[in-house]
Amino acid sequence: MEIIKVEHLKKEFTYYKKAGGLKGSFQNLFHREALVKEAVKDVSFSVEKGEIIGLLGPNGAGKTTTLKMLSGILYPTAGNVDIDGFVPWERKNEFKRRFSIVMGQKNQLWWDLPACDSFYLNKCIYDVDDMEYKKTVEELAELLDVKDLMNVQVRRLSLGERMKMEILAALIHKPEILFLDEPTIGLDIISQQKIRDFLHFYNEQKKTTIILTSHYMRDIEALCSRAVIINQGQLVYDGQLEDINHLMGDKKLLTIKCNANADPELLSAYGKVREIKGSEVVLEVSKGKLKETASGILANLPVEDFNVTEVPLEESIALIFQKEVAS
Amino acid sequence: MRVNHFLKEMKRYLRLFGVFAKFSLMSQLEYRANFVAGVAVELGWMLIKLIYVAVVYRAGVNIGILTPDHIMLFVGIYVMMTGFYMFYYPNFVSLSSLVREGGLDLHIVKPVSLQFLVTLRQLDFGMFLADFVAGVIMIVLGWQRAGLPVNFVSVVGFIFLIICANLLTYSMFLIPHLLCFWIVSTKGVADLTAALWDFNNMPQLIYGKWMQRIGTFILPVFVITNFPGLFVMGELSAGMMVWAVAAPVLFFFIARAVWKCAVRNYSSASS
Repeated sequence: MEIIKVEHLKKEFTYYKKAGGLKGSFQNLFHREALVKEAVKDVSFSVEKGEIIGLLGPNGAGKTTTLKMLSGILYPTAGNVDIDGFVPWERKNEFKRRFSIVMGQKNQLWWDLPACDSFYLNKCIYDVDDMEYKKTVEELAELLDVKDLMNVQVRRLSLGERMKMEILAALIHKPEILFLDEPTIGLDIISQQKIRDFLHFYNEQKKTTIILTSHYMRDIEALCSRAVIINQGQLVYDGQLEDINHLMGDKKLLTIKCNANADPELLSAYGKVREIKGSEVVLEVSKGKLKETASGILANLPVEDFNVTEVPLEESIALIFQKEVAS
Repeated sequence: MRVNHFLKEMKRYLRLFGVFAKFSLMSQLEYRANFVAGVAVELGWMLIKLIYVAVVYRAGVNIGILTPDHIMLFVGIYVMMTGFYMFYYPNFVSLSSLVREGGLDLHIVKPVSLQFLVTLRQLDFGMFLADFVAGVIMIVLGWQRAGLPVNFVSVVGFIFLIICANLLTYSMFLIPHLLCFWIVSTKGVADLTAALWDFNNMPQLIYGKWMQRIGTFILPVFVITNFPGLFVMGELSAGMMVWAVAAPVLFFFIARAVWKCAVRNYSSASS
């Protein structure tokens, strides 16, 4: 069942150009040249109930702007969004009770108070029943491993701990839809992993629909099966994550370690040499010829170790971005 | 049914306001020195206002129908109203940074009135308490010394007009701060409103006729602190009584309309 439907979404911002220096500032005082920036140009996609999708794109691609329109924070310039029968920017309370948004760079918790106080405020705002509230907080605190931190002022928490608390606060009212805008930004690897594990578990248990933006491919790979990629405000890819490599020409990487110093000239006959690290050479070959190439190398070269891997997702996605820019 | 819903919502908002008050107080008590300093600053300002009254007493001047005792009553109302205003004033000031830095984002998505959430969330107890207590003392002293009637009508009428004055203060002084949605930084505007507020330092009778008219009908600052005092003195005409109620309602609706327009104009900030 489709829960989110986005059609031809567009957002323009007006801004002013300002030349550098004091002179520019004075000129700016009297005359301002208005410019229009199209942050989101024409984005359409839909999300099934219970699905987790990754919204990807380089900085300034329009990911956050799209999420802000989906959550009713911004009015679009054109286009339609239907979320479970609601138009987000009408900002109906009934709609607001159904979703939550967590932004990695913004916080909703009261800085000087323990996080549990902010949870209580959300309980009052969302009208959550006392028993229900207690149960939810206990359950989530256990899952996120923050039970002992409930009575510590937010300002004394580490970034990772604070992010967990932000996520907990956003889930007090059990939203059906969750928008996560770079929830793991700036966190160490262990904290990232914990948050990922939690989101994975939560989605499986509660069937919450999640749209996630992140620059960490590990987040995306671990949580999403589908990716929507936007670049310069336009949708450039919408499909399964595993198909991205296919789209980029089905390449595989062969890492070969030879016992003598390998001659890259020799290897280049088998495929594109990507990297040489001492006796280790990374070779790019097409998937179809993998078997043939591998047996050729093994037969003709003094191979010590041999490994086949996928092209990293980052690379494929970067290629998609570049292709778009070039065209 | 509608009445029931309204009452339920009212209860919910009152409860939320209670939580805000509690959290604000808890936050402020986290920084003891700052809290005490805040009270001290407000007491300092109040002393300056008291000097005016002292000067009036010393000189023994009457302003029109007002004796020094009446003036004390008026200044007391002004001090108390300043306390009420300062109670939620930090929200008005932080409005522009909420807009500039995009902090409004996480408030917009909450299922409560955004205006309520943003303008009444942080409450400053230090400033409020100092002014409120001092204001009430001056009002009681002035009222008594001037020999004004203490009966049901005068007391209830006075309290009612103070409530109206609060609604008017909130609405009228919120409007200039809403400009931040368009011009982003509003420090200049904030200073201007502070100057406007200080017109109430002394009873309106010290000003010329035209000033009084402007201050009553166009930018009705005088309604806030003068009308409750004039009412107790029996000097508030029926027409003015109507205006005392109509002005807050009118300005509240204007503030509400500007607010809605402003929020529509919100463009968030990059993150």
